[in-house]
Amino acid sequence: MVAIKFNMRSFVSLVLVLSAYVSFAQNKPTPPEGMVYVPAGEFIMGSKYGDPDERPVHIATTEAFFIDKYEVSNAEFARFDPKFEVPKGKEDRAAIVTWSQANAYAKWAGKRLPTEKEWEKAARGTDGRTFPWGENYDNTYVVWDQNDSRGGSIAKPESPYGCYDMAGSVWEWTADWYKPYPGNDTPMEQYGEKYKVMRGGSNFNNYSFIRTSHRYYLEPEEISAYPVGFRCVKDVE
Amino acid sequence: MESNLPINQVAVPFSKKVADSLIAVFTVLSLIIQYTMTFSTRFLFLLSASMVSLHVSAQRVDDIPKKSDPLHLRVEKFDKLMMGNHWNEGAFLQQVFFPPAGLDEPIIGQYGDCLDVTTEMLAAYSYKYAITKNPEDRKIADQIFEAVATMEKVTGVPGLMARGFYKSDKPLWHETLWYPEWHNSTTMPGYRWLGDLSSDKFTSIFYGVGTYWEFCADEVQKQQAADLLDRFVGRVIDDNFKLTDLDGKMTLWGNFCPNLPHQKLNSLKVLAGLKVTYHITGKERFNAAYHMLIDEYHYDDHVVDAKILFPKEWRQVGDDYHAARSLYFLLRLESDNDLLIKYRMSLNRHWFDWKDWAYSWPSNIWDVMVYQVLTGEDVFNDERTQVVKDMWEFDRGTREFKIPQQDGSIKSVKAGYERSSGAMIRNYWFGRYYNIIDPSW
Repeated sequence: MVAIKFNMRSFVSLVLVLSAYVSFAQNKPTPPEGMVYVPAGEFIMGSKYGDPDERPVHIATTEAFFIDKYEVSNAEFARFDPKFEVPKGKEDRAAIVTWSQANAYAKWAGKRLPTEKEWEKAARGTDGRTFPWGENYDNTYVVWDQNDSRGGSIAKPESPYGCYDMAGSVWEWTADWYKPYPGNDTPMEQYGEKYKVMRGGSNFNNYSFIRTSHRYYLEPEEISAYPVGFRCVKDVE
Repeated sequence: MESNLPINQVAVPFSKKVADSLIAVFTVLSLIIQYTMTFSTRFLFLLSASMVSLHVSAQRVDDIPKKSDPLHLRVEKFDKLMMGNHWNEGAFLQQVFFPPAGLDEPIIGQYGDCLDVTTEMLAAYSYKYAITKNPEDRKIADQIFEAVATMEKVTGVPGLMARGFYKSDKPLWHETLWYPEWHNSTTMPGYRWLGDLSSDKFTSIFYGVGTYWEFCADEVQKQQAADLLDRFVGRVIDDNFKLTDLDGKMTLWGNFCPNLPHQKLNSLKVLAGLKVTYHITGKERFNAAYHMLIDEYHYDDHVVDAKILFPKEWRQVGDDYHAARSLYFLLRLESDNDLLIKYRMSLNRHWFDWKDWAYSWPSNIWDVMVYQVLTGEDVFNDERTQVVKDMWEFDRGTREFKIPQQDGSIKSVKAGYERSSGAMIRNYWFGRYYNIIDPSW
């Protein structure tokens, strides 16, 4: 009898857990095509060992959002701007555009550029990892600049939420101006509303630049020296 | 991060004496031009003037050797080309542009890799002096060393090294050829300098300065060389083994940090830099940093794997050059047998690739020379000896430059360019010093 009661309790518990899971799964919004879902909540932002502008390590929060699985491609951008020249055979490579072009595309697509917080959370999840896939670097995890098709690395690692190429490939524009994190008192004359933040690095530079917490600043219309692309986000209704 | 290059600098290549006497005339002409012509007319006028003057009084050296010339004659002529066309206040440019894209002196060119060729020439003249003991050779080496020291002075920050510098109080068009990391000098008014130093240039600096210290410098200069590396490598230690720029951020390729992911090759470079600096300064902090990176962070193990062998297409000839310059010092200065075994393993892994090279690049054959010097093995068979005898590093041609105009448009200008022969000249004197090259070749 005792055994039966125990089994009944187990059964009820199982049903509750399953119900909760089904309920959660049903509430999890279905991402638009080509996007993944990032739930609301806290995550670890910043780095202790990176540049001074990555400090302090802190807990940041975002609302839930969708984010593009891949960077916007040449072919996708050309659908928005027919004058955009796409080199033959490079249709599926990340588009290199200015911040204004990226922002205009995002609006046209009914989306927007990610904030720094959203970008970093999508790249590293909640646990503060160094790279989207974890802690160790390997050449097979990344694509080189814009010279490979998106998602074309050998190992094809995903970020915790299912994004590709958030480390390496091209840099990615964010919506934010280059400003210090709360609690950062290291002076930087570049802080303010002159430079936009780009993230994700280009594998052409050193490994440290493709860390999920690394920040770099660039004038919004200046892309002659850096390959900068973008991916979009969309609010969850 | 400076941008906006409104300057359309078009040059007139008069010889210095002629130029001195014509500066006043040209200034008056310029004023007339400025106040009487539209911008586009001005551009065309100056372009024509510069092309005419190139025809009339070119000062560039044009005595290009023949491939059939003996090696020593080719080196002699390449040296004259370097001194005549690439030398700028002691520093050498990897590539110079002739008018109308360049100026009358070789200050127009690519500054990103200026330190590589400058330190190659510093090493060349250091080895040369070690052979000839000719004070004139030392004098040139001293001037090149001064240019390396200027790379620090021009920044105004002790230990911060520039990639290159040139005399101008305003940005010239060629600055767009590299990352927009140009600055006005606060310590040398009227000069501009390029930041964003890389780990490759870190290697160039300790290689060039270390070689100068070892083979050429007198006691006073040895101290200056030691002080320079003390400040330079000391700053890297202070910044937790990073090369940082004026903004405090790590440069694009300046990562040796034990707390950040970096290429294993960079571990090799920084150990070599620390070893050289400890050797010539005698300061314990460099020895301590060297052993900390080994004992706590296993940089010696990184050295073993610094060469990527597989997949084959990931092998980098350029990386091997930095590795060769680093191992050249590490294997000669280290006395700990355990470490020597690991450094030799690294050299062996490099040799696995080097032994089959086609030697299409001058530094290739230098790496092989380094291997012979470090191991004592006689690896110069007939084929490799012939490669040395046939060494050639020169390229001159015409290319189109996109020059920003004052109105924001881009103007295409066709102009001549010439690439450096620095690596070959260094190879020659290195080979001569180590008896790999016969003077009669």
